[in-house]
Amino acid sequence: MADVKSLLAQFEEISKNPQKLVKEYVEAGEKVIACFPIYTPQPLVTAAGMVPMGIWGGQCNPQLAGKYSPIFTCSLLRSCLEFGMTGVYKDVSAVVMPIICDTFRGMNSAWRAGVPDIRSITFIYPQNRKDPGARDFLIEELKAVREALEDISGNTVTNEKLQTAIRLYNRKNAAMRAFCRTANDHLDLVKPADRHHVMKAVTFLKPERAVEMVSELTAALNAEPVHRFAGKKVVLTGITCEPDDILGYFDQCGVAVVGDDLAQESRQYRTDYPSANSGMESLALHWFGVKGCSSAHDDNNTARGDMLAAMAKEAGADCVVLCMMRFCEIEEYDQPSVITQLEKAGLMSFSIDIDQSTSDSGQALTKIQAYAEN
Amino acid sequence: MGETPEVKKAKRPLPKSRVMLNALVDSIYQAAWDAEAKGEPVGWSTSIFPQELCATFDIPVLYPENNAAGVAARHDSPRFIATSEGELGYSNDICSYARLSIGMAHQMACDPNYEPPAVQRMPRPTFLLCATNSCFELLKWYECLSRELDIPIFMQDCLFNYGDAKPAKHWVAYGRSQIEHNIKRMEEFFGKKFDWDKFLEIQKISVENARLFDECVMMNDRNPSPLNGFDLFNYMAPMVVARGRRETTEVLLQLKREIQEHIDNGTTTFGSAPQKFRVDWEGIACWPNLGYNLKSMKKYGVNCVTNGYVGAWSLHYTPGSLDEMAEQYMLSSTNVVNTATMMGKRADVANHFQCDGMFCHINRSCKFMTYHMTCGREIVEEKCGIPVVFFDGDQADPTIFNEAQFETRLQSLVDVMETNKEAKQ
Ligand code: SF4
Ligand code: SF4
Repeated sequence: MADVKSLLAQFEEISKNPQKLVKEYVEAGEKVIACFPIYTPQPLVTAAGMVPMGIWGGQCNPQLAGKYSPIFTCSLLRSCLEFGMTGVYKDVSAVVMPIICDTFRGMNSAWRAGVPDIRSITFIYPQNRKDPGARDFLIEELKAVREALEDISGNTVTNEKLQTAIRLYNRKNAAMRAFCRTANDHLDLVKPADRHHVMKAVTFLKPERAVEMVSELTAALNAEPVHRFAGKKVVLTGITCEPDDILGYFDQCGVAVVGDDLAQESRQYRTDYPSANSGMESLALHWFGVKGCSSAHDDNNTARGDMLAAMAKEAGADCVVLCMMRFCEIEEYDQPSVITQLEKAGLMSFSIDIDQSTSDSGQALTKIQAYAEN
Repeated sequence: MGETPEVKKAKRPLPKSRVMLNALVDSIYQAAWDAEAKGEPVGWSTSIFPQELCATFDIPVLYPENNAAGVAARHDSPRFIATSEGELGYSNDICSYARLSIGMAHQMACDPNYEPPAVQRMPRPTFLLCATNSCFELLKWYECLSRELDIPIFMQDCLFNYGDAKPAKHWVAYGRSQIEHNIKRMEEFFGKKFDWDKFLEIQKISVENARLFDECVMMNDRNPSPLNGFDLFNYMAPMVVARGRRETTEVLLQLKREIQEHIDNGTTTFGSAPQKFRVDWEGIACWPNLGYNLKSMKKYGVNCVTNGYVGAWSLHYTPGSLDEMAEQYMLSSTNVVNTATMMGKRADVANHFQCDGMFCHINRSCKFMTYHMTCGREIVEEKCGIPVVFFDGDQADPTIFNEAQFETRLQSLVDVMETNKEAKQ
């Protein structure tokens, strides 16, 4: 069995070089479908015989994207547009774009104008999740996504293939949750950046490969003695917590990340596809099971803060760090209430800015230091 | 989105239609206060929610976007925005209407010395109506109001129409399901039966008002235009707050008469300055800077004869058809359709109105409306062959707008329009 260090190095390599992976897939004759955050029905892509890969932009200072994307919109979509316009995504067969915020409304237009050669499969999640018509609506909406994927792949997505894919994704979710739990017993080996590399790499890997690799890592960790971590522990919330520098600051200050609610990380794996009459129904019901997420309306308007407080307490953290993607308004609207609920639960919190268009994360260091020294 | 403050302008007496309009708006606020005094329900609503429902229940509803526009135009927004950004900790990135309204709701609920705005004071609501057609932010904003005031939301999720076709069948079915479900929930919440006959009547009035409003807007296509285009911002008020009321029909009929008189007499509310350029203004008004904008544009003889924004309440459906009604709420707002649809339409209108240019408000608050402009600019340039110029501003946060930049951009628009005119001659 490979040792923990070399396994973690593999995840780091993958998380930092998704393009290499795309090339490998394409050279092997496979089609790649890029999936925008947060929730895309990836089992449909797998069932259509193609490879779904997450698309998360990257640290860059956009030069072309500004033509279509206002400067006061999130850097995540601005860098995705930049990469689209500069040919970084040229090997993908299509993108899947769920409209979960106003910036995505705009991205739908910007992508068409700026990246006309890469097809966008757009769809929308119903926000009135308690309405009796929402379920049927979403099933139909997902059928259109299925049709587009069938068209691109030339394969039919049967119910059987879809159910098999769904089971695989649920196994992946379980593997990710198991890794997160186990990692907390080995915080000497799994530093904040390592944890992030695993979570991010999995968004690029085929699901079966992800299950295999993550399970192997978890097993390798389980073979190590449990480590009693004496430092401070935090839970992260937000869209992403990048670049590595920021995660490095936590480590430098002796702070461990023991859980997350990041869209790029655990939000992806928190909710399983429930059993249902058909694969399509299961995909739809998944959306109605999403809790505590800024992109999914909940009548319980303190759900997210309460969920984070419970997560932190369970993981032994005394603080939640709000990783605020600049100009991400859906997160910004939640921010005060999340802080209030955490305070009510007797927990600390602080916010740091996340911005892919700048490499300056000095303010994050200052805040992490202040917390660590507190 | 959504608005219409009572804009202070030159001292000449208000036209009769405006006097009627003001009386109508006052009566709507008064009805809300009367209900509050009796302990009856009062709603706050997003500007393009199916108003037909509460109108049928005869429950008063006020409109924070409309109210925020008025507060901002009277330069009273900073103190509410400060509460949101300071005490409550909201980012200054979120829509300024939201910051203003959440700040106001908080002061209302928590500050015993709360000082309401000088006019159009809103009582505290007991429920919220939220439609997602204008943007997704509205939903997040209303979640905050719901938390702040501890009251429920009735939602009409109007689905952003990302494609080019009209909403598919399953979209309409979802829209209709929500209207029906909301009616049921409201029956329980208000403890009243829904009167379907009255509903039909209100639908008829609403559709009639939408038709009349569109007619008034279109009458400004004459050259010279009978109206200063900015006047239309004022007449959006009844379309937002009283679309289902007979009084609105009266206001619009009066307005139509007044416009016709201007056309017949060759006069215009633009004043005596020559209308040298006909411009399509895109985006919400900069309410705190409206006076300055108008003055600058008059200086250059620019009349913004049309704007896409005022058409957001143009809902046309067959009364009695819930499907059509649901569909219309998924199509009406400028922000509920994609850029190709929206800016394609605007280009057609600019052509019809013989516009010489398009002046776009890059509104710091309204992200998607800004995308329409950045992504739609090429569509307009191609279809109309007119210059498209941007300026930065905000609808309610006075800290964003810069007078010097506005004037420079306006000048550059005028320069190109002038050159184009000369070339044509
Ligand atoms: S959810 Fe936030 S980070 Fe994601 S696309 Fe929308 S604005 Fe950007
Ligand atoms: S973001 Fe734009 S559409 Fe939404 S409420 Fe604000 S101004 Fe209106």
